[in-house]
Amino acid sequence: MTNLLELDGVHAGYGPTSVLHGITLFVPDGAIVSLLGANGAGKTTTLRAITAGVHWSGDIRFSGRSLRRMSTENIVRSGIAHVPEGRGICTELTVDENLKLGAHLRGGGAEVRRDYDRVFEYFPVLRERRKLSASTLSGGEQQMLAVARALLMKPRLMLLDEPSLGLAPLIVRAIFDIIRTINQDDRVAILLVEQNARLALEMSSHAYVLEVGRVAVEGPSADLKGNESVRRSYLGY
Amino acid sequence: MQALMQQVVSGIASGGIFASLALALVLIYNAMGLVNFAQGELAMFATFIAFSLVDHGLSYWIAFPLTLVIAFLGGILIQRIVIRPVERAPVLTLVIITLGLATLVNGAAGFLWGYIPRPFSSPFPVSTINVGGVLTSLQDLGVIGVTGAVLVLIYILLQRTTLGLTMRAAAHHPEASRLLGVRVSWMLALGWGLASAVGAVSGIMVAPVLLLEPNMMQTIIIYAFAAAVLGGIESPLGAVVGGLIVGVTVNLAGAYLPFVGGDLRLAVALAIIIGVLVLKPNGIFGRPSVRRV
Repeated sequence: MTNLLELDGVHAGYGPTSVLHGITLFVPDGAIVSLLGANGAGKTTTLRAITAGVHWSGDIRFSGRSLRRMSTENIVRSGIAHVPEGRGICTELTVDENLKLGAHLRGGGAEVRRDYDRVFEYFPVLRERRKLSASTLSGGEQQMLAVARALLMKPRLMLLDEPSLGLAPLIVRAIFDIIRTINQDDRVAILLVEQNARLALEMSSHAYVLEVGRVAVEGPSADLKGNESVRRSYLGY
Repeated sequence: MQALMQQVVSGIASGGIFASLALALVLIYNAMGLVNFAQGELAMFATFIAFSLVDHGLSYWIAFPLTLVIAFLGGILIQRIVIRPVERAPVLTLVIITLGLATLVNGAAGFLWGYIPRPFSSPFPVSTINVGGVLTSLQDLGVIGVTGAVLVLIYILLQRTTLGLTMRAAAHHPEASRLLGVRVSWMLALGWGLASAVGAVSGIMVAPVLLLEPNMMQTIIIYAFAAAVLGGIESPLGAVVGGLIVGVTVNLAGAYLPFVGGDLRLAVALAIIIGVLVLKPNGIFGRPSVRRV
């Protein structure tokens, strides 16, 4: 399998504070890869580097092409949907308008209409709340909206930043099921940042564990799950 | 009763003019979180352009849309050249820049066209017609028609088109919009263009009443501020409703309160601003801003 996304010795930081100290990481085409680690390990910063939300050095390639000096808008347009920390919902707009923003680069063909139908099939609650302001949604519904909107962008890669944060376990389960479906049905590769290591390892084929800006451990998710010392020292369960 | 209705109608006409400029203020406020103090001067400058076009023999109804296009492009240009390099500057810096822009545009107009007030012909006849028992001037009806049409067009653009949607998203949520592929910086530039074009409408509509000179908009901008604040500074609909309320109120106060007369109308607008800020700081349509701390 070829790599869709490649990070090659990426350093990044905010002003004089450097956060990533040479991250090398691969996301194969169509795979789910999880990025684990404690708070402040650099998971969010890694995602932000990919969509040019933070200055970085080293190299980041998406489908063979370097993302150096590309603007966030152009990176996104090339096929990466980034659901950021805090979900990035436009609370001034309605649910419907948020979804339209996801599809705004795709015009309004039959394919887009089909995707709308699928999104509402996955998340029926969004159909009920279509006309309402997105600010009236609960946390779980906002996360659903964020994933739905990302799906409507028809990306080749989704970056998901802690989709489980602050949500009830039942809702987390539902959202992760949909994410898995999206991955299988649409062949969308997913780079998943999670605090909930157990859940992320279950979902992903490969995992990276970050520790203060470096990759501490990496390997097939099943191996990491089975390795007691890794679990104890890095994943905390 | 009839006299009252006449005052209301001409109040609505001036309200349409205030509403256009107030809408321009709101569009910029949404795009960069601050009021563009140069908005009135830009409108005045555009009116001078319309004046020159008509002066060179163009018909009014060609010069008018042509001026709006020029104002639109001018607004985009100003955003790209003057505002964009300082986008991330503190608010106070931006305030000073828009104030500087106001002075500059005012001076440039004076330099190019002089300070002698010029009559600006109105495309509408001065005669009056009887509408349901109320004598109304065609001038007032024409202004109401034009500003009304422009405001409806802007509404459709912002609320009913994908471009409008991305503009609104870029203004309120720049970071999230970027991650959806919206070219935020260009959307803000479009906002400037749109604001500058709507502002130009108010200038061109008010010029026949006030006489055209570089300081023409300096009272109008106060009314527009009052309208925008009354409606809720972030709400385009609020700007329009606020404009109409301010127009009618000021007109009625001028006609029926002997101590206001023609001289203290501006004071009424200022009273509205102070009253709103004290009693309901978010205006009619504004939402209270809630911040987590």
